[in-house]
Amino acid sequence: MTDTPLDFGDPADLDRLRREFRAWLAEHPLPERQSGEPVPVFLRRWHRLLHSGGWVGLDVPERYGGRGLTALHQVAISDELGACRAPGVPRIGYLAHALLEFGSEEQRLRFLPRMLAGDEVWCQGFSEPGAGSDLAGMSTFAERHDDHYTVRGQKLWTSYAQYSGLCLLLARTDRAAPAHKSISAFVLPLDRPGVTVRPLRAANGDDEFCELFLDDVRIEESERIGAEGVGWALAMTTVSYERNALDTGHISKYGLLVERLRRHAAEHQGGLPDGLLSRIGRCVVDYEVLVAHARRRTAERLAGQVAGPESSVDKLLMTRTEQRLYDTALEVFPAELSGEGGELFGDYLYSRAASVYGGTSQIQRNIIAKRILHLPSNG
Amino acid sequence: MDREEFVLVRDMVRSLATRFGVTSADEVKPSTRTAAQQALDELGLADLRRTSPPAATAQECALLAEEHGRHPLTTSLLGTVLLAPELLRLLGDDTSRSTPTIALTRELRFPGRTPPDLVAWDSEGADSALRVTAEGAVTRVRLGSAAPSTDLVRSVRAVPSDAPVEVVGRLDPPDLLRWQAYALVVVTAELVGAAGSFVEQAVEYARVRRQYGQAIGSFQAVQHLLADATVLVEACTSVTRYAAWCLDNEPPERALTAARVAKAEVNSSALEAVYAGMQVFGGIAQTWEHIAHLYLRKVRLGATLLATTDELLAALAVPEVTR
Repeated sequence: MTDTPLDFGDPADLDRLRREFRAWLAEHPLPERQSGEPVPVFLRRWHRLLHSGGWVGLDVPERYGGRGLTALHQVAISDELGACRAPGVPRIGYLAHALLEFGSEEQRLRFLPRMLAGDEVWCQGFSEPGAGSDLAGMSTFAERHDDHYTVRGQKLWTSYAQYSGLCLLLARTDRAAPAHKSISAFVLPLDRPGVTVRPLRAANGDDEFCELFLDDVRIEESERIGAEGVGWALAMTTVSYERNALDTGHISKYGLLVERLRRHAAEHQGGLPDGLLSRIGRCVVDYEVLVAHARRRTAERLAGQVAGPESSVDKLLMTRTEQRLYDTALEVFPAELSGEGGELFGDYLYSRAASVYGGTSQIQRNIIAKRILHLPSNG
Repeated sequence: MDREEFVLVRDMVRSLATRFGVTSADEVKPSTRTAAQQALDELGLADLRRTSPPAATAQECALLAEEHGRHPLTTSLLGTVLLAPELLRLLGDDTSRSTPTIALTRELRFPGRTPPDLVAWDSEGADSALRVTAEGAVTRVRLGSAAPSTDLVRSVRAVPSDAPVEVVGRLDPPDLLRWQAYALVVVTAELVGAAGSFVEQAVEYARVRRQYGQAIGSFQAVQHLLADATVLVEACTSVTRYAAWCLDNEPPERALTAARVAKAEVNSSALEAVYAGMQVFGGIAQTWEHIAHLYLRKVRLGATLLATTDELLAALAVPEVTR
């Protein structure tokens, strides 16, 4: 965390990009979700449309299918999407970073362009029934043979696995060594024999989460990402990015709802119940703080800082923003609470997951206490 | 300034703090105030924002205000070095040889149309105060006697209501917005520094203070309290540094919105962070000799200074005209 001036980018350059993007949006009507169309299918259509305009992976080098711009450009687009009532940006930033940092050149060339284009959809096989936030408790095992592995185990909370072709899989490759030396990462095609995907119905009615059963699944050595045993480092890098609202596309999602609340405030200024205007104002502040925070992190990264434990701060801020936002939205739009509950109510239910996925809020606080504040251990 | 130059200036403020920062409320006396302010004046920082183009960017000034806020310093860096010189710069007044600070209403807000009682805020070493009306008219007013302030390290003086006022100039509308945004950011940055430093001191204390046979910093309840305070300080830091950058790079309307967002966040979060720090210090933080209350006083008063949370949230709830 730097205490010298930061470069938040050239505003004229970012403004140009924003204008270019708005012009593109004006010519490309937003897709509408058809009745009965699952959210991931709808989002994939949106992903492909965005990609056709060159709006996905702005900070990914051109040779991998991106635009070779900076992450600050990505923040500007994410911010714009929120203001333009458009669906969010595809949540691939954290997966792309894992491949960029740990994949071989061959893997990067093979996987990144198709990931950015939305041609190949990825999911993340980290959590297990016995190991959620406690990744070290992982028991899925990949047994080494000459040129391949056989994998046995079970994964849980694998979001949208039923709509994905590939999985970024973590498995133990050494039963004896400690967790940070014994885990390896793989690209697993989900149509491989021995893989069973079973969707789980979530509290909001969606079937986002899946269980993944792996029964003697063959994975080639060439499908391992990085050296054997670097899975822990890869996981830490991935979650560091996953804990930043920018890399997971959350900023645009929040921006969309914040704009809706502000429009409502403008239309009903005098008639809002006591305190509600302030609560909407608080949501605006939370959101703007999160955007400023993402910009600062991005500026620090561009100045050479690698993603590390400070991403736990990002995650807690993101959680604060999301949970207060949806809670307020239900007060502003009470009709959403009657009947079966609409999309907003579903999103509200999902906002309670923000303090669980990607490492619980308590885990984030432990990380901050130990790795940023260097507070002593118990005993 | 280039980076090395900035680091040099910031280190000057740091070393000033080592020599002149008070270690308890008992040390806050007229003689120590004067000595500290003289040492600050000798650094010649009043020129940082006095020339056009300015020698220091707004972002650099905000970082200096943040550094100043980290220490219980009795010096009026904000009033006499950062805020009043910026006003004169915006007015194109480069002839003035005086050392003004700024005048605020008694409730410490920007003066309105017909300002009632005024105080010269942050007045150590100042010889007059500049008042900006809601229309942008800038006048110079005389200083009266010392006025009490709950922020014990801050010098405040009354402004005699019958004193003659001298017209200095008038800010055009964009410059008035620039001035308000800059003032909000500088004040906010000082509060961020204060909260951040106090939380760091609490972390340090949690490492050494032992209860039940072990350092209290090893207890998860204390760790989580300090982790939450750290998140709040980081949020304050991000939003204030971005607002400061906007002053240098964005149109004044956007800069003012960013400044208001920053003040709204800091008003509540910096205070929460100080509360957490005091909880960690426990009973000792309740004593007159301990510096905890100096930080609490600054941040509590700072939360109402220039703009309160309620005013800001209501204004930010409705969409901006410009986008």
